[in-house]
Amino acid sequence: MKIGIISSGVPFVQGGYRFIVDWLREKLVERGHAAEIVYIPYTDELDLILPQMAAFRLIKLDDYFERVITLRPPAHMVRHPRKVVWFIHHLRMFYDLWGTQYCPVPDDAPGRALRAAIIAADNAALGEAHRVFTNSRVVGDRIRHFNGLDSEILYPPVLRPEIYQAGEYGAEIVSVCRMEHHKRQLLLVEAMAHTKTQVQLRLCGTSMNPAYVDELRAAAASLVVADRVIFENRWISEAEKADRLSRALASAYVPYDEDSYGYPTIEAAHAGRCTVTVTDSGGVAEFVMDDVTGIVTAPESAALGAAFDRLYTDRRLARRLGEAAAEQVATLGIDWDTVVAKLLG
Amino acid sequence: MKVLVLSTMVPFVHGGAEELCDHLVGNLRLAGVDAEAFRIPFTWNPADRLIDEMVIARTLRLDNVDRVIALKFPAYMVPWHDKVLWLLHQYRQAYDLRDAGQSNIADDARGDQIVAAIRTGDMLAFGEAKRIFTNAPITARRLRHYNAVDSTVLRPPLNDPELFGGGEAEGYVLATGRINAAKRQYLLVEALRHAPGIRLVVAGPPDTPEDGERLRRLAVIAGVEDRLTLDLRFLPRGDFARLVNGALAVAYLPFDEDSFGYCTMEAFQAGKPVLTTVDSGGVLDIVRDSETGLVATPDPEALGAALAALADQPERAGRLGRSGREALGVHQLTWPATIGKLLS
Repeated sequence: MKIGIISSGVPFVQGGYRFIVDWLREKLVERGHAAEIVYIPYTDELDLILPQMAAFRLIKLDDYFERVITLRPPAHMVRHPRKVVWFIHHLRMFYDLWGTQYCPVPDDAPGRALRAAIIAADNAALGEAHRVFTNSRVVGDRIRHFNGLDSEILYPPVLRPEIYQAGEYGAEIVSVCRMEHHKRQLLLVEAMAHTKTQVQLRLCGTSMNPAYVDELRAAAASLVVADRVIFENRWISEAEKADRLSRALASAYVPYDEDSYGYPTIEAAHAGRCTVTVTDSGGVAEFVMDDVTGIVTAPESAALGAAFDRLYTDRRLARRLGEAAAEQVATLGIDWDTVVAKLLG
Repeated sequence: MKVLVLSTMVPFVHGGAEELCDHLVGNLRLAGVDAEAFRIPFTWNPADRLIDEMVIARTLRLDNVDRVIALKFPAYMVPWHDKVLWLLHQYRQAYDLRDAGQSNIADDARGDQIVAAIRTGDMLAFGEAKRIFTNAPITARRLRHYNAVDSTVLRPPLNDPELFGGGEAEGYVLATGRINAAKRQYLLVEALRHAPGIRLVVAGPPDTPEDGERLRRLAVIAGVEDRLTLDLRFLPRGDFARLVNGALAVAYLPFDEDSFGYCTMEAFQAGKPVLTTVDSGGVLDIVRDSETGLVATPDPEALGAALAALADQPERAGRLGRSGREALGVHQLTWPATIGKLLS
């Protein structure tokens, strides 16, 4: 089948939204399909959002593709008789963030008119789609609430699950994700100050924000846990990630109010590692259930530290939760065969 | 520095323009620049569609970029304050091809409106570009003639010159390039009838299965199958270069090409003479009869005679090929120099 994978893109900004596009193409091609990636530039400047959405809508794809799969908004605005929307988020400032401090749109007549126009455009684009999938329950709930439409959850898998292996359960709580404020590695460092065992913390990942990394290092020093906090502040290859996880005690992932469960959670599960998370991490709870596939604590350093100690002193617990996490991946159908079958169904 | 290369996309088509786009990005990165390409899907039928295509390009917005290098219509219309054009060609069906009666834009009032819109849009885009480079003198002349815009010729270099080191001639003439009616490999197959004993190898991907079938059929009709090898596919570059390096000469006969053509540059890099035709356009900017190759009329008899002449005088062929290498060398077409100009 000739398939177009359409996404908006910001030049030179990498991240999850690109990975899912690249990976999907690879998996479609592996299965004998012809797939082409189309990135259309897009910028969030308020006055330009509607015209850009109109431009997306004008793009003619029927001649080239038998099916198009759209990812990052406003890619879903494109038209095609067999358009499958894999919706990863709304333009949230007009939806759940409306009226909060995170919304740059003024709540005045022009602002409200813009919001109404964007919701109407989304309703039309989603309503006409052949199928609508979301990457998480949270996003599906929002589509139902704001757009009045049903959708189906289609969990994004990691690229090569087979590279993850479960080794011995070691002494390290591992975090592999970008080091940014909203990922809250600081909470993990502070948790280490409350631990009573020799449990260690390994923080891996790049950062857009060197000051935050400095803050993390300074916190580790001032809390006198620097000898048990290992920093790998750089790009971590897939092989390195698999290696760190294969001998970890568990993974920790404590972002603030994410929509989806996050790739770190699934990568850990593939390596038979459970995830320690907190109650306000949002979609992570969709995968991590307390005492089943991980440990969920209050978003406080003392509670997190106690969870680290619990896993350190009870490796059988780490193994039981880790193995359950691995099974949960299969139960939820987080694999490429499922994804491809649904997107082409 | 962040450089965004903008071009258009016809999904699932990969030819010279796509290769150029990929290598431009690769060589920008080698030069230590952050580079990435965005390619916007392009449809030109029916002709009214061209208006929408321009509206799309004009309405899209960029962010997080220092310089844009735009290659094709209408991608070069995307607004950006620091934009350099490296024009591979305009939408020729609104210019010289319409004058030649070879356009998808009708010769009526509506057609005139579409052409006027394209020319207006082009003038806007050319006017806001910091610099305009073109890929060949003919592209620059068209731009001057139709748009009264001056440009600098910047010929795309070979992407992998190191593969074409040359070598002993192994007694065959090689025809390269995509296989289609406009590149006229079929004339060479027919020419074999007039060139007894000559071996011809045709190596390249057919645009359509029919393009390949046509060559097979003609070989049977001409009774030259025993002297013809058809390797009709996109060859791995190493295999392709070995064929060029072992050839007596390269035959390349496109109809009215704009530029030298990669086929010509590959041949000259390897020190092989090029057989071409009097109507091959920009190829003639570097292939000169009896200096760097042979230039024949585009008919089987003349081409057959030229093939025979090359085979009968292998030493002369070698001399022409070496002159071709020198002629190419004069242009100093390298990626580092090209990148330097695009970023200046």
